[in-house]
Amino acid sequence: MTTVQPSLAGEPGLSELLTGLGRDVARDGRVLTVQVPTAGLEPAVRRIAAHRGARLADVFASDPGEDRTPVTLRLVWGLDGDRGYLITESPVDGERYPSLSEIAPAAFAEECEIYEQFGIRPASGRPLNRVALPPWAGPEWPRLGRAPAEPPEDVHAPHHVGGHAFEFPFGPVRQVAVESLYYGLVTSGEELVDLYLFTWHKHRGVEWRLRGCTPAEALFFVERTEGLGAVGNAWAFAAAVEAALGLEPPPQAMAARAIALELERLYNHAAATAALCQSTGLVIGQAAAEIALERLLRVNAAVFGHRFLFGVVGIGGSRRAPDLAALRRDLPGAYGELRRAADALLTTNSFLDRLEATGVLTEEAARRLALVGPVARATGLAIDTRADHPVPPYGEFPPDVAVQQAGDVLARFRVMLTEAAESVRLIGEIGETGPGAGLAVPADDAAAPPGGTGLGWAESSRGESLAWVALDGAGRITRARLRPAAVRNWRGFDDACRSQNVFTDIPIIEASFWLTVAGTSR
Amino acid sequence: MPLWTLRGLRRGVVTTRYPARPEPSARLLPTPPAFQPDVLTRDLADRLVAVCPSDALARDGDALVFDVGACTACGRCQAEAPEAAASSGEFELAATARAHLIKRIPLGGRPA
Repeated sequence: MTTVQPSLAGEPGLSELLTGLGRDVARDGRVLTVQVPTAGLEPAVRRIAAHRGARLADVFASDPGEDRTPVTLRLVWGLDGDRGYLITESPVDGERYPSLSEIAPAAFAEECEIYEQFGIRPASGRPLNRVALPPWAGPEWPRLGRAPAEPPEDVHAPHHVGGHAFEFPFGPVRQVAVESLYYGLVTSGEELVDLYLFTWHKHRGVEWRLRGCTPAEALFFVERTEGLGAVGNAWAFAAAVEAALGLEPPPQAMAARAIALELERLYNHAAATAALCQSTGLVIGQAAAEIALERLLRVNAAVFGHRFLFGVVGIGGSRRAPDLAALRRDLPGAYGELRRAADALLTTNSFLDRLEATGVLTEEAARRLALVGPVARATGLAIDTRADHPVPPYGEFPPDVAVQQAGDVLARFRVMLTEAAESVRLIGEIGETGPGAGLAVPADDAAAPPGGTGLGWAESSRGESLAWVALDGAGRITRARLRPAAVRNWRGFDDACRSQNVFTDIPIIEASFWLTVAGTSR
Repeated sequence: MPLWTLRGLRRGVVTTRYPARPEPSARLLPTPPAFQPDVLTRDLADRLVAVCPSDALARDGDALVFDVGACTACGRCQAEAPEAAASSGEFELAATARAHLIKRIPLGGRPA
């Protein structure tokens, strides 16, 4: 990491922003890191949040190990529009830090998480929610840092349902093999008054598990953290490690990753289409979309050797090369199956009526909660890390970012269908005219230590996936932060559900978000 | 809605009675490993046990104990020792008793 003057930090507006934050700025590729003392954090957050195109992408903490202080608070800002990422680092000596969510509401979920894991909380004293740990989690439970000093019942928000409303509990065990998720549906009869989610039933402590691993060992777990986002999350993690180690994967490997990422987007959007049909009771449409889904999974297996594309991404490169002949042979038919189902759905009024004006999110809400991916794009926010923060091969093969304005389920469905078509185009162009038809696979784990820190990102099917790692001198992980897109977008789900919807709309809205519990409860 | 019924009938049945015919896509599935007893030594068995993330492998004296029910077919053992483990191609793993899924593989290899 090299120290730079703010004047060297690119566009004039960004220079001005950095000048206001302080001179202790370091640049590593597209990532700027600024040291901000805790006392100056509040004005800094106000200043950055007001900056054009700045989006609070993540907030997380780390400590020096063995429960020592200070805990370092990191805020990751996406400076969208090809201007990179900005990280602020603030050491917190006491147990309080300035409340971030009062300035940037998107930070609230992370404030709750940081309290559970590191025992520090916002100075506002605002009640917090449970995120990862169950109510009976005592101080002896494994955490990333030290346990909170105050008993949880003194800090967590009490839950009351008053008036004529009552709570309809649903989950955490739901139908068939659906992930564990508890819905608290607050209703006065048919209309949904409020909704809250508990996701801690599925918490697995993946970030805790990654400490002490080598990057290659950790990658195995990262791929399996959220099975439906294996490529996106693994790419973000590998990119973070590569940034820390100063590795630059060869273009052939990046092309292989991009083909896998677009295949992952395709099968996820097909799965969301099937889920939308199921939630609206259109069983033949569901079967048609599931045939397309199965064919796309078989394309994955034929091209990369794994139906869910595990094992494609490697540290410093790619571990599997695509079978381009299988891609040419099988993809058009599989995508054609999805296209036919989608075309039929788009002319079925009884289906479209259930989607239109259901689960509406406004652009203002999406911006306030820093949502990402198709959920944000369906509200009119044209954010896509492939376009805003391009890494090879997306600089050479830019995507046409699909945007809708209505913010409802139908808008999200249309965004997904447009993106599926765009993915097929990108796969074709990268496979046929990208860097080398053979897409050579480099040696894995080629790098030697030293350690360092790095940020990585990728546009998964659900939106921006982020990862941040710190490596020690032996090349082992001291802190790994995984921020799949689901972490971001679940916080928009309850807003969408509250927008004048009834009980039976909830599965439709959930299908259109197409999030995973695994992605947020990692 | 009648159009959807017609569409469904026209598309036909894509599922089959089991096992009407071998499913060609099955060869693309990750499957649990098959081990080569002649190559396995205590050291090699211990290496395989160490890389297994789901505790499907254990060594009991001169036998490698393989719990197929715990195997996730991740392929780590095959990557660790391709001479001793290869994908079995076997994905029909149903058994009438849990114990039938646990295999004891004698270590027949000579120590190096």
